[in-house]
Amino acid sequence: MQEFDHIQSLWQSHSVEVKISPDEMLSQVKKEVAGIRSRSLLNILGMVLSFAAFAALMLFFQFNLWTTYAGLSIIIIAVAVYTLILYKDYKIISENDFTAHPNEFLLKLKAYQLNKFTIYNKLYWFYATALSLGFILCFYETLGNLEPLLQTGIVAFTIFWMVLCATILRRSYIRREKERLDLLIEKFERISEQFEEQK
Amino acid sequence: MENKDKLFKEIFETNSKKIFHLCYGYTGDEDSANDLLQETFLKVWQNLDKFRNKSLISTWIYRIAVNTCLTYLRSEKRQAKDELTDNIIENRTEEFSEKNEQIALLYKSISRLEENDRLIITMVLDELPYNEIADISGISEGNLRVKIHRIKLKLTELYNQHARI
Repeated sequence: MQEFDHIQSLWQSHSVEVKISPDEMLSQVKKEVAGIRSRSLLNILGMVLSFAAFAALMLFFQFNLWTTYAGLSIIIIAVAVYTLILYKDYKIISENDFTAHPNEFLLKLKAYQLNKFTIYNKLYWFYATALSLGFILCFYETLGNLEPLLQTGIVAFTIFWMVLCATILRRSYIRREKERLDLLIEKFERISEQFEEQK
Repeated sequence: MENKDKLFKEIFETNSKKIFHLCYGYTGDEDSANDLLQETFLKVWQNLDKFRNKSLISTWIYRIAVNTCLTYLRSEKRQAKDELTDNIIENRTEEFSEKNEQIALLYKSISRLEENDRLIITMVLDELPYNEIADISGISEGNLRVKIHRIKLKLTELYNQHARI
C-alpha cells in the first residue's frame, strides 16, 4: 500500500524536459501563419505566369483571325482580374503580425477565409466561363488546320481539364484550405477568448 | 519590443518547466503537453502588457495554463484522454524499468481523476502553496483544503489499484 508521499516523490523524480526555446516557440506560430501566406502567394505566382504566357502568345505570334485576338484578350483579362482579386485577398493576411496584434489578425483571418470561399465559388464560375469563351474563340483559328482527330483530342482534353479543375480539384482545394484555416481560427479564438473573459 | 522579448524569455526560462509538467500531468502525453505549453506562453506573450502585478506572475501564468488545459481537450478534434495515456505507456516500453513503470502508473491514475482535480493535484504535487492554488483555481482556501484531501485519497487509491493489477 503506497502513501501519498511516495506518489509525490515519484512525481518530483520524473524530470520533464522542455524541448522548445521561447524564440522557437514564437517562430513556430509565425510559421503556421506563413504557410497560409506562402500558399496564397504561390497561387498568385502561378496566375502571374499564366498571364505572362498568354500575353507573350498575343505579342510575339502572328494570328490571322480577329477571333484569336479576341479569345486571347478575354483570357488575359480574366486571368488578370482573378489575379488581382487573389492579391487583394492575400493582402488581408500579409499586413498583420499575429504575435503583435492577435485580435486584429483573427478578424483578418476570418475575412480572408470568407473571401477565399467567394473566390472559389461564385467568382470561379465567371472566371471559368470567361476562360471557356476565350479558348473557343482561340481554337477557331489555331485548330483550323489540324487533323479532325487531333482537333477532337485537344478540345476533349481542354474540356476534361476544365471540368476536373471546376469539380474535383476545386472542391478538394476548398476543403483543405477550410480545414487549415478552421484549425488556425479555432486556436486563435481560444487564445483570445480567455482574455476577453478576464477583462 | 526588445524589453518585452527579454522579459518574455526570462519568464519562459523560469516557468516553462513547471507549466510543462502541469500540462504533461493533465494530458499524459508529451506532444499534447508541448502544444499546451506553446499555447499558454503565446497567451502570456500577447497579454504581457495587461499583467498588472496584482498577483505573482507565476500565479497568472498558472491560471492561463489551467484555462488552456481545460479548453484544449474539450475541443472535438483532440484525442480521448485514455488513448493518450495508453500511448505514453506503449512508447516507454523500450526504456522499461520499475521506476518508469511506476511513473506511467502515476500518470494513468491522474488521468482517471476529474479534469479540475487533475490540475489541482498536479499543482499540489509540485508543492505550490495552497493560497496560490486557491487563487489559480478560483476556489476558497477552506474549500480547497477539503477538496485536496479528497483528491489525494482518490489518487492514492487509484494508484494502488493500478499497482495491484
